[in-house]
Amino acid sequence: MTYFVIFLGVSFILGALAVASNPSPYYGVVGLVLASVVGCGWLMSLGVSFISLALFMIYLGGMLVVFVYSVSLAADPYPEAWGDWGVMGYGLGLVLVVVLGVVWGEAIDFWEVGVVTVDGGGVSLVRLDFSGVAVLYSYGVGLFLVAGWGLLLVLFVVLELVRGLSRGAIRAV
Amino acid sequence: MNPHAKLIISLSLITGTTITISSNHWIMAWTGLEINTLAIIPLISKSHHPRAIEASIKYFLTQSAASALILFSSMINAWSTGQWDITQLNNPVSCLMMTMAIAIKLGLAPFHFWFPEVLQGSSLTTALLLSTLMKLPPTILLLLTSQSLNPSLLTLLAISSAVLGGWMGLNQTQTRKILAFSSISHLGWMIVIIIYNPKLTLLTFIIYTTLTSAVFLSLNQSKILKLSTMLISWTKTPMLNATLMLTLLSLAGLPPLTGFMPKWLIIQELTKQEMTPTATIITLLSLLGLFFYLRLAYHSTITLPPNTSNHMKLWYTNKTPNTSTAILTTLSTLLLPLSPLIITMT
Repeated sequence: MTYFVIFLGVSFILGALAVASNPSPYYGVVGLVLASVVGCGWLMSLGVSFISLALFMIYLGGMLVVFVYSVSLAADPYPEAWGDWGVMGYGLGLVLVVVLGVVWGEAIDFWEVGVVTVDGGGVSLVRLDFSGVAVLYSYGVGLFLVAGWGLLLVLFVVLELVRGLSRGAIRAV
Repeated sequence: MNPHAKLIISLSLITGTTITISSNHWIMAWTGLEINTLAIIPLISKSHHPRAIEASIKYFLTQSAASALILFSSMINAWSTGQWDITQLNNPVSCLMMTMAIAIKLGLAPFHFWFPEVLQGSSLTTALLLSTLMKLPPTILLLLTSQSLNPSLLTLLAISSAVLGGWMGLNQTQTRKILAFSSISHLGWMIVIIIYNPKLTLLTFIIYTTLTSAVFLSLNQSKILKLSTMLISWTKTPMLNATLMLTLLSLAGLPPLTGFMPKWLIIQELTKQEMTPTATIITLLSLLGLFFYLRLAYHSTITLPPNTSNHMKLWYTNKTPNTSTAILTTLSTLLLPLSPLIITMT
C-alpha cells in the first residue's frame, strides 16, 4: 500500500509537469487526465473517498468533456508534442525545480504525511476505500448493470430524437 | 421508426416497469421509473410533428420533476429512519411528498394538466401505452406505501380527480383528450379505495386497462381521432363500431358489462367503511363521465344520419380483423358474471 501511494504521488507530480510543460491543449489534456486520476486515488488513500469521487466525476466527467469539445472546435493544426526541443526544455527545467524543492526544503517530512496513514503501512494491507471498487463489481453487479443500461438508453433516446438532417426536433414538417 | 431502436425501446419499457414493480429498495424503484420515462419519449415523438415534440417535452419535464421528488422523499425517509424499504415509508414529510410525486406521475387531479395534452400530441397506440403501461409502476408504488399514506389527502385527490376528469371531458371533441379525462376520473376511483382495500385498486387498474385498451385499439382500427371522424366511421367498420359502443358503456360503468364490477365493489367497500358521503359523491361524479361516454357511444353507432348521407357503405374494406381487439372487447363486455372468481384471484 505504501508503494502504491508513493507511485500515485509521483504520478501526480509527473502529470502536473506534463500539463505545465506543454503549450498545446491537445497533449496537455493527457497530463491533466493523468494528474486528476492519480490525485483522486491519492485522496482515496487518505480516506476522503467522497471528495475523491466528486472530484473524479466533475473533473473527468464534466470539465474534460467540455474541454474536449472546445479543443475540437478550435483545434491546432500542428500541435507541439513532448518530442519538440522547446517543450523538452520546459519539462526538464520544471523537473529540476521540483527536485531542488525536495532537496532544499527537506520535503521528506511532507511525504510521510501522505504516505504513512493509519492503515496504509505494509505491502499486503489494503485500505477499505479501495476494496469498495471490488464490491461494486461483485455484490453490486446487478445495480451496476442496470445503471449502465440506463445511461446507454439515454444515448439511444437522444440519438433517436435527433437522427437525420430532416428530423431536427424543432423543425416543422 | 428504426426496428433496432424500437426493439431497444420496447425492451427498456418492459425492463423499467419490471424493475420498479419488483423492487423493495427505493433507489431501484426510482431507477426503473427513470428508465421507463426515457424509453417512452422516442415513442411519443415518433410521428415527428411539432405537436409530438411538444408533447414529449411536456412529458419529460413533468415526469423528471416527479422522479426527483420521489428520490428526495425516499432520501428524507432514509435519513430519518435509516432504511430504504419501500413498504416502510414512515416519515410524514416524505409520505406527503411521495403522494404528491406519484400524483404528478399518474396525472391525478391538481397535477393532471400534462396528461390530456401529451395524449393529444401522440399517436393512439402510444396514448394507449401512456394511459396503461406507464401508469402501472406509480400505481404499484402507491399500493406498496398505501398503509402509511394520509387518508384525507388521498380522498381529496380522488374526489378532485373524479370532478375534473368528468367535468373537463364534457366539451371535448378529440377522442384522445376524452379518453385522457376518462383515465383521470378512473384514477380517482382507484385512489379513493387505496387506503381501505388496496387489492381493489389493483383490480380496478386491471379492469380499466382492459377496457381502455379495447377502446384505443378499436379507435386505432379506423384511425378515429375526433368525433366527426367517428360519425362517419360506420361506413368502414360497422360491426366494430357496434362493439365499440358496448365497450364505451362498459367504461362508463353500466351494470351488465365488465366496467360495473370495480365501481360496484368500491361503493360496497366505502359503505362498509361508513364513508357513505364519499361513495355518494364519487358515484354522482361518474355521471359527468357518463355524459361524454354516451356521446361517444352515440357517435360510434349512428347508422342513419338525419340528412342525405355523403358516404356509401363500403362494400369492400381492407381492414383485417385484429385478434387482440376481439379478445379485449369480449373481456370488457362479458366479464361481470365472473366477478367472484376475479375477486378471489386478486
